[in-house]
Amino acid sequence: MTIFFVRQVGKVVHLVYGKSKQLEEQDSVMDFNFPAQDDPRRIEIREWFKNHPAPSGKQIAERGLAAANWPEPWGLSADPELMLIIEEEFARAGVIMPAVSNPIGVNQCGQSLLTWGTEEMRQELLPPTLSGEYLWCMLFSEPSGGSDLGALRTIARRDGDDFVINGQKIWNSAADRAQIGVVVVRTDSTAPKHKGLTQFVIDMNMPGITVRPIADMTGEENEYNEVFFEDVRVPASRMLGKEGDGWQITMEQLQTERQSMTKPGAVWGSGPSARELMNGLIQTGRIKDPLIRDEAAALYVEGELLRLLSMRHLSNKINGKPAGIEGNVGKMVASPHGQKMTDLAKRSQGVAGMVYNKDVLPLPPKHFGLFDNWDYAYWFSPATTLGVGTQEILKNTIAERVLGLPRDVDPTARVPFNEINKPNVKAA
Amino acid sequence: MNFSLSDDHEALRASAQNFLDKEVDLSSLLVPGATVAKSGYDELWEKIAGMGWPGLIIPEAYGGLGMDYIDLVMIIGETGRTLAPAPLFGTLAGSWAILAGGSEEQKAALLGLVAAGETKLAFAIADSGGSYEPGADEVIANASGGEYILTGNRSFVVDAAAADKIIVAASLNGARRYFVVDRAAVAAELLEWRDITRQVASVRLEGAAAELLEGDAASVWPFVRNRLYLLLAAESAAGTQAALTDAVDYAKQRVAFGRPIGAFQAIKHQLAEIAGQAECAGAAVQYAAWTLSVDDPRATLAATMAQSYASEAYCNATYRNIQVFGAIGFTWEMKNHLFYKRARCNAELLGSPRQQREEVVSFLEREAA
Repeated sequence: MTIFFVRQVGKVVHLVYGKSKQLEEQDSVMDFNFPAQDDPRRIEIREWFKNHPAPSGKQIAERGLAAANWPEPWGLSADPELMLIIEEEFARAGVIMPAVSNPIGVNQCGQSLLTWGTEEMRQELLPPTLSGEYLWCMLFSEPSGGSDLGALRTIARRDGDDFVINGQKIWNSAADRAQIGVVVVRTDSTAPKHKGLTQFVIDMNMPGITVRPIADMTGEENEYNEVFFEDVRVPASRMLGKEGDGWQITMEQLQTERQSMTKPGAVWGSGPSARELMNGLIQTGRIKDPLIRDEAAALYVEGELLRLLSMRHLSNKINGKPAGIEGNVGKMVASPHGQKMTDLAKRSQGVAGMVYNKDVLPLPPKHFGLFDNWDYAYWFSPATTLGVGTQEILKNTIAERVLGLPRDVDPTARVPFNEINKPNVKAA
Repeated sequence: MNFSLSDDHEALRASAQNFLDKEVDLSSLLVPGATVAKSGYDELWEKIAGMGWPGLIIPEAYGGLGMDYIDLVMIIGETGRTLAPAPLFGTLAGSWAILAGGSEEQKAALLGLVAAGETKLAFAIADSGGSYEPGADEVIANASGGEYILTGNRSFVVDAAAADKIIVAASLNGARRYFVVDRAAVAAELLEWRDITRQVASVRLEGAAAELLEGDAASVWPFVRNRLYLLLAAESAAGTQAALTDAVDYAKQRVAFGRPIGAFQAIKHQLAEIAGQAECAGAAVQYAAWTLSVDDPRATLAATMAQSYASEAYCNATYRNIQVFGAIGFTWEMKNHLFYKRARCNAELLGSPRQQREEVVSFLEREAA
């Protein structure tokens, strides 16, 4: 595509825009088609799955497919397009991706080890993480507050070559099954609340750690846990980054997690999407109900737009464009989208939907991850605007960081943490 | 695979932005009682014609620029963002009707004039009830010697008054066909259209001489409708963003209780919501533009989705914009209401968002069957 600049006498420069024969040779032309079926990179991956029809986690990791976007030796330095191919080929082969079965380990914590970990930590922890042997958890929120995460109270005190942790964490996914996790703790109470935090990688079987599952309102197997720390000794060598880097590392991990949630799936991007909702309503004939019909259409449209947002984010990465606001905005749209979708799926059943029933609407045989039926997705859905930052915190973030509106007032932000609650000290 | 805008697209958008920021002045409309007559409709058109925009989507073979729909939405986004009052909608609609329904000779003769900026068009298809389908209130065509004579009424015709030629949908022997009529041969009466940045008229034909478009009549309305969906959606998506930016700027400046009102969550959260809708509307337009450019089989679905979503987002954004401004945003002297009215009218002009959602479901039902 060529742009001709034409200077009009006495006027600003305007563009007259035409096309030349270069059009076909340029690669910057918009194209919403996915990588072709005969793409050589796709054929190579498909061949591998043909030779490894039921690959072990170790085989997947050794082939570089567990975190293909990572650099060698862990991954293949795959660009986002190859990542998309790999995702499609995993689905085609009916194999669950490590990033789906162990998202915290592969996406968030593994990434942090690459960025912030020591070489020693990487050599020790990454192979079992990528092979699926180590399941990870993230220990951030506390009973005293999740939205105001910076006010957390769990303390780590230096003692020789160790740090000794005391306190309590809550709302921790997978903590009851994880072998390993990251925990953010306060190492300096004299610093302002966001500055005195540090992250450690801990083994979940360290003495002094107690994990208690939380029975949530779904009645299904627990998603969340609370984790108690009583004089837990962690070697200083397990610190991620330096003392005081904890807030930044935590924010990076949450950002990565939100980004991955900009998808049309009902629960944080996983689970059935509005396409499945629409198909189910058509198959059961419930789409004929005019009240259901319009809502289903609106949800279908919104789901397709979420799909486009996630593809555009990917595409911008391929083209080296700066990340858009899609990550935060996408999660803000996706969570209520999932709630409305599961709600309509339930309502389409009427009173029969109030009985425990996994077959609310028919679903094709496909990997929908943990939330593989509408019933569970529906009863779980209130959590989707709470987890990974509440909807209100997310809207604050978007308003302040994306739209540039003034920051909310936090009178405790600049005060040394240990002086915040002293009654005679006036918060500045 | 590539969902990103190229630098060329960005450059095209920026050039349209520079041009329109300089040329569009809505201040004459911000006098109470102003009508579209005060908008500078014809003057702006002269300058737009000088930019070559009338020929944007006309193939090079007929003297146009032969640009695709992604290019088009770069420019329409800017005319939408600025509410540029000019008969671009009618001229594009008429051009698409001729492209879909004209013979080679007709395309060459008519589109060349349009591309050269010498002829403005309008497309007359809706009846007095706003229906686009053939009904009781149909214009009737009769053969008379070598030509045709049209009798009847059309309504909600965008840019009819400004046009040189009007493409009219009419019934010939019981079948819908499309005819070219000279503007001088019809009586056009401007409606008191609430969006005073757009000219909308009803058209009365009393034995008006007409030229039959000789191509495939059945393809005309679906072809034009999809493209008009895209056009309105592109205006709406850009307008959504404009209303958001405007409200954000105001919320940063306006102080109450000792703080800019944008610091309050009651304001912040509403604007964050609009940011989400603006982002989705933009993606919908981009995708629809691509499907139309490559003639993708889902182009109809994509254009319909874009129109239903973007027009509602625009209504939401312009409503919220007025609420953020407070009572001052409710006055005629502020431009907020121009956007609010454009948004409302865009959401009705081609049928309501709910009607488009019905089209979406019908499409999916056919696909599933």
